[in-house]
Amino acid sequence: MDFKVKKIDEWRYLIPKKGAMRVPGLVFSSSELMANIEDDQSLLQVVNVATLPGIVKHSLAMPDIHWGYGFPIGGVAAFRMEDGIVSPGGVGYDINCGVRLITTALVASEVRPRIKELVLALFKNIPAGVGSRGRIRLSTKEQRNVAAEGASWAVKKGMGTEEDLERTEDQGVIREADPGAVSERAYKRGHDELGTLGSGNHFLEIQTVDEIYDQDRARAFNLFEGQLTVLIHTGSRGFGHQICDDFLKEMGTKVKEAGFDLPDRQLACAYVTSDTGKRYLSAMACAANYAWANRQIIMHWTRDTFEKILAMGPNELKMELLYDVCHNIAKLEQHVVDKKKVTLCVHRKGATRSLPPGHPDVPMVYRKAGQPVLIPGDMGTYSFVLAGSQQAMKETFGSTCHGAGRMLSRKQAIKTAKGRAIHRELEDKGIYVQSRGRTTLKEEMPEAYKDISLVVEAVHMAGLAKKVARLRPLGVIKG
Amino acid sequence: MNPTDLNYQIIDHTADLGIVVKGVDVKDVFIRAAQAMTDIMVKADINEKGAKRKVLVEGEDFPDLMVRWLSEILYLFDGEHILVSAIEISSISPIRLQATLTVLPLKRGHHEILREIKAVTYHQISVQRVHDGWEARIIFDI
Repeated sequence: MDFKVKKIDEWRYLIPKKGAMRVPGLVFSSSELMANIEDDQSLLQVVNVATLPGIVKHSLAMPDIHWGYGFPIGGVAAFRMEDGIVSPGGVGYDINCGVRLITTALVASEVRPRIKELVLALFKNIPAGVGSRGRIRLSTKEQRNVAAEGASWAVKKGMGTEEDLERTEDQGVIREADPGAVSERAYKRGHDELGTLGSGNHFLEIQTVDEIYDQDRARAFNLFEGQLTVLIHTGSRGFGHQICDDFLKEMGTKVKEAGFDLPDRQLACAYVTSDTGKRYLSAMACAANYAWANRQIIMHWTRDTFEKILAMGPNELKMELLYDVCHNIAKLEQHVVDKKKVTLCVHRKGATRSLPPGHPDVPMVYRKAGQPVLIPGDMGTYSFVLAGSQQAMKETFGSTCHGAGRMLSRKQAIKTAKGRAIHRELEDKGIYVQSRGRTTLKEEMPEAYKDISLVVEAVHMAGLAKKVARLRPLGVIKG
Repeated sequence: MNPTDLNYQIIDHTADLGIVVKGVDVKDVFIRAAQAMTDIMVKADINEKGAKRKVLVEGEDFPDLMVRWLSEILYLFDGEHILVSAIEISSISPIRLQATLTVLPLKRGHHEILREIKAVTYHQISVQRVHDGWEARIIFDI
């Protein structure tokens, strides 16, 4: 389908409504970033999403948009309850893939000589890599408890504190989860993967706060320059992949009966209030809860590792959760549309929630500053902490970007990295990396991703979130 | 094993990984697609002996059948830690595939796992007759 892209201002591009589109597309970007996506099909995917029933206002894309399957990655779309849809492809296979950031009382320069030792110990204690099996084996009954309880399951088992839960998006649980809506196959795939990082772009990183942009908010988030932090990026593993897969297949068969004419099979969907739609949301919630438990457990082992290696107690280390965000999710949320408060099914596929100061869903401790927004960089580049904004509520259903976004395919990346020792190049930059996979480092090398600073600048300037601090990696474990 | 033996090519997709597989007939393209996917995930000797396992997959048309067929093999790999070493398709139609698989338990150390495939996607899926046989195009989420 042919479509036009119209520049509205320096940070906004409109795709006017045309053909089967029910709403226009709106892309947050910059001229520099737009130049990167002209060759791929991600803008066509924005257009395809705009054709789905019940979509509200715009089919949205964040500056880190790239070509996904069905929905673009970096896409946000909200649907009405009465005639709108929910789509597993609008969430992605890695349901509740997300990030948590841990702050410490440590000054990075003092720990620097021990980084290698810490990375090696973390690599040993936290299973990572393709097909990694966890240290925890769950019976189906226990797995159902994880699916229903989320991060609090791990806390009940002694792996974390009540305070951790308060500082997790939705307190680390979607209560509408129904373990009965999940297939046996999903339980089979998930039974030995809880407490594993996985592979691909997932990682655990030791970092330092490198620059502060907003002193007041940094104080509110307990961040100071030179501080040591730890970032964990992972999701719901095979459990979530299977749930997405099961419902894509079920909905794919039913869309014809429902009379949808889809431009791409991967856009399979069901009405939010239909039986299938409701069951998908209940099963998706189980995967979201599994992912929160996963990140909670990995954080617990990270704390444990730091205590042992540095021979320091929890009171000295003060390894506190700053926040945990998910960036692949669909949620029923309240938003204002045409001056009326309505419930919408908001899909964020590679997009982070960005709630403004004063919003009731922001933890009390951050209520004045706004929700912490965590944007992981790729291995070897910066990550960012931002704060949610009112502008995001107005324009993007309270959403902002989620990361850098790939620029090179894995094949191109391997070609670019040919003959180079990526781990050595990173070590020269002061970043010690341990990875399991043979080609992971090449595929995930910094050049394979867009410049995250440009992505963050675009959301900051568009007002979708405000920059607070920049984090520089010191040590990374990858799958 | 050399990828050329399997007659598949990796296609470039920014976020994911895809393959184009060719076969002399429709059975052949389904077998080769499964072998290509296994080849991407694990380094193994496909001549290893194993137990037999029958599978039945149903779909709406050849592309849908292909996604469901490969998803079945992926589930065996990821959910039951079973490696498929040989495939015999006894019957195939656009809506139904029956096969006997030779399967063996996936052993760490013995089989080197190369890459995690999260799922077989419907994105731009195609299975079609071409001038010299059959061709399938499949994109995996990795």
